[in-house]
Amino acid sequence: MFRLLDSVRMALRGIGSNWLRTLLTMLGVLIGVASVIVLLAIGTGSSQSIQNSIQSLGTNTLTVFSAGQFSSSGPQIRFNQLNAQSITLLSNRENAPDVKSVSPVISTSVTATNGTLTYTTSVIGSTPSYLAASNYTVSAGRAITSADVAAHAQVVDLGASAASGLFSVGSNPLGQQITLGNAQFTVVGLLAAKGSSGLSNADAVAIAPYTAVEDQLTGESTSFSELLIQGRSASTLSLAQGEVESILAAQNDTTVASLPFTVLNQASLISTATSSAKTFTTLLGWVAAVSLLVGAIGVMNIMLVTVTERTREIGIRKAIGARKLIVLFQFLVESVVISFLGGVIGAAAGIGVSHFTIAGVKPVLASYSVPLALGVALGVGVLAGIYPAYRAASLRPVDALRYE
Amino acid sequence: MTVFDARSDAASAPPASPPVIMLADVMKSYAMGSEVVHAVRHVDLRVDRGEFVAIVGASGSGKSTLMSITGCLDFPTSGHYSLEGVNIRDLDDRALSRIRNTRIGFVFQGFNLIPRMSALQNVELPLVYGGIPHRERRQRAVAALTLVGLANRLDHWPNELSGGQQQRVAVARAIGTNPALILADEPTGALDTTSSLELMALFHELHAHGRTIVMITHEHDIAAFASRVVELRDGSIISDRRQEPTSVGA
Ligand SMILES: Nc1ncnc2c1ncn2[C@@H]1O[C@H](COP(=O)(O)OP(=O)(O)OP(=O)(O)O)[C@@H](O)[C@H]1O
Ligand SMILES: [Mg+2]
Repeated sequence: MFRLLDSVRMALRGIGSNWLRTLLTMLGVLIGVASVIVLLAIGTGSSQSIQNSIQSLGTNTLTVFSAGQFSSSGPQIRFNQLNAQSITLLSNRENAPDVKSVSPVISTSVTATNGTLTYTTSVIGSTPSYLAASNYTVSAGRAITSADVAAHAQVVDLGASAASGLFSVGSNPLGQQITLGNAQFTVVGLLAAKGSSGLSNADAVAIAPYTAVEDQLTGESTSFSELLIQGRSASTLSLAQGEVESILAAQNDTTVASLPFTVLNQASLISTATSSAKTFTTLLGWVAAVSLLVGAIGVMNIMLVTVTERTREIGIRKAIGARKLIVLFQFLVESVVISFLGGVIGAAAGIGVSHFTIAGVKPVLASYSVPLALGVALGVGVLAGIYPAYRAASLRPVDALRYE
Repeated sequence: MTVFDARSDAASAPPASPPVIMLADVMKSYAMGSEVVHAVRHVDLRVDRGEFVAIVGASGSGKSTLMSITGCLDFPTSGHYSLEGVNIRDLDDRALSRIRNTRIGFVFQGFNLIPRMSALQNVELPLVYGGIPHRERRQRAVAALTLVGLANRLDHWPNELSGGQQQRVAVARAIGTNPALILADEPTGALDTTSSLELMALFHELHAHGRTIVMITHEHDIAAFASRVVELRDGSIISDRRQEPTSVGA
């Protein structure tokens, strides 16, 4: 019997007979496959960076905002507040069993100075529980304490970027005085770098007791614009959200449905972001698929041209004993080899390109994308080749031999 | 050259072995618009083992059409054709390919070698299709090329060979599978006198070794090398005579 190896060798000879054309045809598939891989990597990369930035907000956290929301109850308009009483109510174990900690958040952006060095930091005034809720760990010195909060102590824990911006290499910031706005703060602790995976740099912070921040920077207030609440676990986060919402509703004499605060659930944020990132990735995948389709049409076109050009050769082959199946196979193998080779080179190119940051996104190779792209390249070869190969196989030997 | 010697087959064959070609009332018609062209009409032809037949006739008399039918490249519109006793009508693509591969060797006017395949590869190709193992097909292809005097041109591409050499490669390809029938359509049509005579010498030798050859030609001095001349006119046989073949080198 006619052997597979012989027909593959024959197909390779056919491909080799017109290198430039083969290469140009391959280019279509190559670009298609490379763009599938790169675009999927960009999709995956951006979805991961969104997830990372949400995760950098903390672990199992709820954020309550009272961004100046008003509610009308009766004739007078009342300004709803998140205040010290809210914190007390929310910290009650009985009413809110799934809440682990509640931290007020006062944030303001100020220029920090240390001698001649300046650095724009975001100063966060809070309580010690804020550090754990936001995933900050102290790498040197100590964290701010409840005693600091009670004493309005002007002490600060510096994020890694802020510390390196304000202190020259080799000097020890611990115990040093820095100026935040117009006030002097003592650096008591340094925070381990979280990595600036988010949209904002989580390491450019200066965390101080909220009492001191109010005194020195934002002015005394009876309310907070934001509360960071940490739940006990990821699975009970939505329970915690329910508890928080009903406590705040009761405090403000309103219903949960018309609660004048926004409660952001980190878990649902992630799932929303993940699903929109998925949509984005799918969209990119389709764009890439279209370019692969164009490549496939190119392969089919060239295969049709090849079959026409080699009509006489097909006639000769049939005259000397090639049966239909063998002619079909020869051209099919040719098309598959062109596509697959294009696919392999395209995959290599795609992997190469994925190492660079593209449009601000660090692409992450989706593990499925390379086998997918290669599989598709194979499929393209078969689909684009089957009709031309069938045309070649069904040529009648007399007609093919007469062809000029 | 026992591989290419058909006499041993003939000797071992039973006395009542079927004729190589048996055409009975064969018609081939083409519909050209409203008109019907009868390229071959009511042809009866029997060619026995070991004959060297020349088919002559004016252009358009149906010679090539007849060859396509005898070569199993086409079917007759009506009538009956059997090759070595096998009715062609009953065969599918696979069986027909097998017959073309093993029982028939073609030599065409335009050589019809496959470009970008060396002389050796061209001669090997039918053996590849026949599923002959690598080593054996190489041996047979080299033997066939040696027989046609091209042992020193194995790795030449067709475009590196003269017309006469290309045609000899084609002959080598035709005989490499040890076929029952060699079909040649104007094999000297594109050759000069010297190459034509060389080719006829080769055909003469194959005939002397018992091969069955059917050769189409325009030229009477080429037909003179055959042992039998069949003349066609307008698709019908108008004469069929045996003759003493001219010996080559005369
Ligand atoms: N595929 C076809 N379609 C229509 N008519 C055809 C076809 N093939 C052959 N013919 C016609 O059949 C007739 C015989 O053609 P054929 O090629 O057999 O002649 P020939 O004897 O080989 O001529 P030449 O010596 O010029 O090669 C011609 O009239 C030709 O036009
Ligand atoms: Mg002809």
